[in-house]
Amino acid sequence: MLVLAIAMGALPTTISAQAPDRRVSSITAALRDENYELALQLIRAALADSPASSELWTMQGVAFKGSNRPKEALASFRKALKLSPNNMIALRGAAQIAVDQGDAAGIPILEHILKLDPNDRTSHAMVAVLEYQQGDCTAALPHFEKAASVFEQRPAGLRAYAACLVKQKRFDDAIAVFSRTLEADPENAQERRVLAAVQLMGQHPEAAITTISPLLSATPDPQTLELASQAYEQAHETEKAVDYLRQAILLNPNDVNLYLEFAAIAEKHQSLQVGINVVNDGINLQPEAAALYFARGMLYVQLSEYDKAQSDFDRAYQLDPKSSLSAAAQGLTAVQQNDFTKALAGIQEKLRTRPNDPILLYMQADILTEQDPKPGSTEFNTALNSARRAVALKPSLGPAHAVLAKLYMSAEHYPEAVRESRKAFQADPADQTALYHLVRALRKTDQKGEIPGLLKQLAVLRQQANSKKREENRVKLVEGEPEVR
Amino acid sequence: MTITRRSFVALSLCASAQSLLAQQEGGIASRGVKAQAKPAPSGRPFNAQFTDVAKDAGLHAPVIYGGIDQKKYIVEANGCGCAFIDYDNDGWMDIFLLSGTRLEGAPPEATNRLYKNNRDGTFTDVTEKAGLKAVGWANGVCVGDYDNDGFDDIFCTYFGQNRLFKNNGNGTFMDVTKEAGLLQPGPARWGAGCAFVDYNRDGHLDLFVSNYIRFSFEHAPVPGEKSTCNWKGIPVNCGPRGLPTGRHILYRNNGDGTFTDVSKQAGIDVAIESYGMTVVAADFDEDGWPDIFVACDSTPSLLFMNNHDGTFREEGVTRGVALSDDGMEQAGMGVGIGDYNLDGHLDLFKTHFIDDTSGFYRNDGKGNFDEVTRAARIGVETRFTSWGAGIVDLDNDGNPDVLFVTGSVYPEVEKKLPQYPYKTRRVLFRNLGNGTFEELESQGGEGISAAHSSRGCAFGDFDNDGDMDVLIVNMNEPPSLLRNDLKVKQNWLKVKLEGVKSNRSAIGARVIARFAGKSQAQALVSQSSYYSCNDPRLHFGLGPASEADLEIYWPSGLHESYPKVAGNRLVTILEGKGLVPNRGWNR
Repeated sequence: MLVLAIAMGALPTTISAQAPDRRVSSITAALRDENYELALQLIRAALADSPASSELWTMQGVAFKGSNRPKEALASFRKALKLSPNNMIALRGAAQIAVDQGDAAGIPILEHILKLDPNDRTSHAMVAVLEYQQGDCTAALPHFEKAASVFEQRPAGLRAYAACLVKQKRFDDAIAVFSRTLEADPENAQERRVLAAVQLMGQHPEAAITTISPLLSATPDPQTLELASQAYEQAHETEKAVDYLRQAILLNPNDVNLYLEFAAIAEKHQSLQVGINVVNDGINLQPEAAALYFARGMLYVQLSEYDKAQSDFDRAYQLDPKSSLSAAAQGLTAVQQNDFTKALAGIQEKLRTRPNDPILLYMQADILTEQDPKPGSTEFNTALNSARRAVALKPSLGPAHAVLAKLYMSAEHYPEAVRESRKAFQADPADQTALYHLVRALRKTDQKGEIPGLLKQLAVLRQQANSKKREENRVKLVEGEPEVR
Repeated sequence: MTITRRSFVALSLCASAQSLLAQQEGGIASRGVKAQAKPAPSGRPFNAQFTDVAKDAGLHAPVIYGGIDQKKYIVEANGCGCAFIDYDNDGWMDIFLLSGTRLEGAPPEATNRLYKNNRDGTFTDVTEKAGLKAVGWANGVCVGDYDNDGFDDIFCTYFGQNRLFKNNGNGTFMDVTKEAGLLQPGPARWGAGCAFVDYNRDGHLDLFVSNYIRFSFEHAPVPGEKSTCNWKGIPVNCGPRGLPTGRHILYRNNGDGTFTDVSKQAGIDVAIESYGMTVVAADFDEDGWPDIFVACDSTPSLLFMNNHDGTFREEGVTRGVALSDDGMEQAGMGVGIGDYNLDGHLDLFKTHFIDDTSGFYRNDGKGNFDEVTRAARIGVETRFTSWGAGIVDLDNDGNPDVLFVTGSVYPEVEKKLPQYPYKTRRVLFRNLGNGTFEELESQGGEGISAAHSSRGCAFGDFDNDGDMDVLIVNMNEPPSLLRNDLKVKQNWLKVKLEGVKSNRSAIGARVIARFAGKSQAQALVSQSSYYSCNDPRLHFGLGPASEADLEIYWPSGLHESYPKVAGNRLVTILEGKGLVPNRGWNR
């Protein structure tokens, strides 16, 4: 709203300077006095004599806006702009109404203003907010950056800016912005948690621990404890991670996510039975939580207890048949047992009722691809079509891009393999397989210039993965107190 | 339903690479791959039957190598190779076996051994007489005539000082390591694989040596000490991960009996992050110059491509032989080289750790490889830690088969986890002739199903009966000598090459045999399998074909063709001269 005041502040003076008619002086005075009814009466009379006066239509827009009649105000501004497209007051007025209403129609108007006045930080701020509201952070970020000073004292704007930076995975930049919002309100626990969460996304667990520490020294809530657990786990302090997670579970034993978090840590450290025991506690309290059965099933698969895993996946599906993952997981045990026919039948049965489920389509493609179908065969074509549909329905589904790349490689369609490997790698920049396939595909297309840099990246990823695995193997969870070997 | 990202990733990967179970547990890379489903049996009979005749043949001495029930250090675990070598040029393959020692000191039987072929199915231990008695932690062997005097010499790698044994031509050898300039000052190095290779095509065999890790008993961690010293929760010997990598060496043969380390100028020393093992040198891109492949343990394998100017460029990853098909490091141990799909190009087979498939890599003839492990149905087998391997036509049907030997590196584990035995069977894959293989569990004879903790193996025809037998190193046991007895005879052809402008052993030559519409490539190499050296007489099964056209690409660059060479015999071909009488061959 303060952004609006900046835009409207100069309006009466500007109008009076532009309109020589004596009646205009009266209208301007009425507007200055905020006597909008009088202003409207005068304007109507003036427009009867000068219907092509852009200034009069602009003043009518201002009057309607002041009377809290935005629809009429917008119509008046539009009329003014039709008569004089570069009428800055009308442009700003129309833009302000669009911004107030969160209407994307304001974006082209603001872009027009910025063409006339590229340094108008207020308009940059308005575009940034509108683009953010439309979910287009790519378009919003350049405007946020140009309007940074406008947001200095406006935490909501800063949060939107930072949220866009997070969305673009520019975590370090986002951390800098969220740090400013926290500085402005250091007692705000939510601000502190948000900053810590983004620090974790940026792989700065120590910084996250520092950020969240003040909350831990008081009486922490389960949300804070969960965040602390994640931070310590990322900092390779698994003992503390487990300790905080256990505290969180004690405080909020009905929070399914906490059990899932525990299962994830247990799986990471190959402490599968401990994970199962904790998930069992969750299931006792939340017997209808499909996610808990799914998680336990995943742990059972790794223990090769396929019957129990299948039972859990069936239960998860029964409780939440709309979930793609629980449906897909039902084929998991069959895949693990090399029974691709059974796995495929299970997936295809689900696909009959949900033919546009991207994960099921991906699973179908993957299971078929595992059997090395010959290019051109029915199985190959089914796999190819399934993978293509999966990525069309869910472009962010990296594993589906990876399967598609594999199929294209197999069919010697190397440019397509390059494209899909690249997308798989973009979806998960730690994915060695996707990067390796990209290198192989580039080699096949003789696009070798990019390869040396990618090989270096691959070597770094390999080292990181090995270090991570070593760390994961270092700690095993046991019942009671964790043990570090 | 809320699912953590990690759970989803695990699920999604599971179907593609079954990486849900992936564990790089302990110090050795294994992808935790589930075996590919076995297709229905072909029902076709397999004609080769293998019987272990080592005892009757007089191969009684055990191959001493580290502790029997426990291995404290990785030095004790990896074992060694063996070689078929005709050291006395009598036309019969003799046997050379490496040996290790023990931490507490060498027992009397700990030595390398040379067995002379008595030409009657038996062998005589001539180690002492030949001057080859040597005690130490031997690893690899490669055989070649480095001084072009007509007698094959032996190079052995060690944890410690490598050794070059010059064949004096009179049944004896002389350790010429020092005279040849091969002494390595400083801390003990771990020589692993080796290969004689004429990389600069000057007619003299140069020498490539892979190094495994930098190791010292003083500083090495012990079982359980680190995360890389546990396997399945049981403390075991540590490594290779967690230990510093070795440095590979290329020695140029100066032509006067000495060698010069040219690793730096040749671009070999850039590969510093690898645990090198078996070395295979061959012309993979068919440009007339030998390239060098190094199987590496738990690090990307290396493929050094020859730049024709005395230097190499390492291109393993981009050429598709460094990593698994999903881009992961594997525990590369042994290497088979051959032409499984009869397209005239040299393919590679690489053995790995338990819970992983072996890797099969199809060469397009330009040195670009595609992994075909699953397409070839090799992925059905993941139960064993695998070592020496060969792509060899075992039943003479014209389609090269695959055989590899296996054995755990952790003898202490089976006491707690019986499902992981120390001694395991040999693995035989029969080539079905359509690009796929069939694992034969019970058709290869008792020599295949017998369980040992094996390491190196060499393929050759010790009894000159026209089929390929197998010599196998067993840890702390006598070796196995698997005699191949074919139930149904098919045709074959053996090719012995002698270089003139090329090195005398003709190492690096590539031969293509064309028969019955097939083209099979083979390379003459001084090391393959696992740290081992095969019979240098290239063996082609011909199936029903009675003759073959031969094309020979000599290391010197000379290309010769020999049409309609009759089968069921050995032919000796002298470079530039043609067929010459066989030396000492009789059947």
